[in-house]
Amino acid sequence: MPDKTVRRRRALLGLLVVLSLLLLTAYFGEAPSGRLHAVQRDFLTVVSPLQDGANKALKPVRDLFDWFGNAAHAKSQLAQSVKETDKLRRELVADQAEKRTEHQLLALYHLDQLGVNDYRPVTAEVVYNAPNIWYSTVTIDKGESAGVRVNDPVIDGEGLVGKVAQVAPDGALVDLITDSSMGVTARIGTSNATGLLQPKVGEPGDLQLLYLPANQASVGEYVVTAGTVAPPPYESLYPPGLLIGKVSSVNEESAYESVTVRPVANLHDLGIVQVLTSGAGTRPSNLSQLAASLPAGQSAPSGEQLASTQVGG
Amino acid sequence: MKGAASSSLALRLAAFALIVVFFQVGVVSELPVFGVDADLCSLLVAFVGLTCGSSVGAACGFAVGLLVDLALLQTLGLTSLILTLIGYWCGRLRELRDPQAALTPLIVGAVASAVALVGYSLMEFMLGVDAPVSFELLRQIVLGVLVNTILALPMWALTRRALEGALPEDARRRRRRRSYTTGGLSPLIKP
Repeated sequence: MPDKTVRRRRALLGLLVVLSLLLLTAYFGEAPSGRLHAVQRDFLTVVSPLQDGANKALKPVRDLFDWFGNAAHAKSQLAQSVKETDKLRRELVADQAEKRTEHQLLALYHLDQLGVNDYRPVTAEVVYNAPNIWYSTVTIDKGESAGVRVNDPVIDGEGLVGKVAQVAPDGALVDLITDSSMGVTARIGTSNATGLLQPKVGEPGDLQLLYLPANQASVGEYVVTAGTVAPPPYESLYPPGLLIGKVSSVNEESAYESVTVRPVANLHDLGIVQVLTSGAGTRPSNLSQLAASLPAGQSAPSGEQLASTQVGG
Repeated sequence: MKGAASSSLALRLAAFALIVVFFQVGVVSELPVFGVDADLCSLLVAFVGLTCGSSVGAACGFAVGLLVDLALLQTLGLTSLILTLIGYWCGRLRELRDPQAALTPLIVGAVASAVALVGYSLMEFMLGVDAPVSFELLRQIVLGVLVNTILALPMWALTRRALEGALPEDARRRRRRRSYTTGGLSPLIKP
């Protein structure tokens, strides 16, 4: 009798381990359009209303904990914010004259300054945060039915958050900018030199701007998306000028600088986000059409130049 | 009678596991403590193994892992594999040693969390995630174990409360209790 129990127990363990390994192998080997991924998406569709309900019901609990955390954090940020405000006020005065000139130039080409609203933003609520350091993802409550597609950029009130990785009818999975699969063409706010922004290996909360020419960055400067810098069909997924983060340190290695960037968006406490659904390369293609329509000898301002007129994405 | 008891246990387990998983992904994962998130799922599976035995622990681990992977669109089977082993080992601990010390849940919770975090890291490395063994990773694991250890006792009490009345009666434990209550093994009573 005990032998039978032992055999049954071991058989169950073996079965469950083999089943897990089979699932793991099959999932890891298949394409994102495969069956197991489809099952996950279907599951998400079924449980999204539940998630949404649970999220709303448990919000007071989260808010209570947040309140304690935020109160402590706010105190430490106050002094820094006062210093930054003074610095920004001085910069603002200097920039206003320059901005007026740029507006006049843009008006010459009949181009208005494009804001986020021009990218058809869809507002969504974050219903799930991945609970470990290996997955920098969140799940939102808007999907295909709201016009959200794979690779659409996602922002919040502070800056770029990530891009859509998988879509279900009523939900989507967003890869955050700190996810190991991400790479964004970015530039320092005050310069036109671009680099590749990737998660910093071994520092899950930080990003690293690579391949930036030397002496381009200094600590405290803002980093924004560069938009498209390659010819079609290699348009960037991200519109130019979206704020990503702030330079926290600069390492000068060889001919290129490696800059550590701290994201401005609080990626661990996302509530409401916006998905820019207008599609990749929209603005640069508009500019290309415009350039084609201009008389010979004139050229349209580049996405980079336009981006410099945007504030904060 | 036995069938009714096990179906009652299965129902309670399923309901409790669902609540814990939703609470984990909906609330706990958005409330970092010391910069890390608590992992209630590994605690749940360890304590189910510790109260119900290895088979139930392993099955619960598999189901909870699958639910987490499905809900978070993670690699299917990864969490299941780790939680199945945790549930099984905690169940075996109960079957072989039946520890009764007050600190047992605390130690089991800490060890289960450490196994889950280290196991997860190892699996991710094997699956090709590009990350070195850094101080940050070590810090996350140590702090994760610490936070889970703090939560172990309340989680143990919750698990016991949720499953109370539906737990299987272990013959060995029953025998031991009988012999103590009748004074058979008490060192204070002379034969």
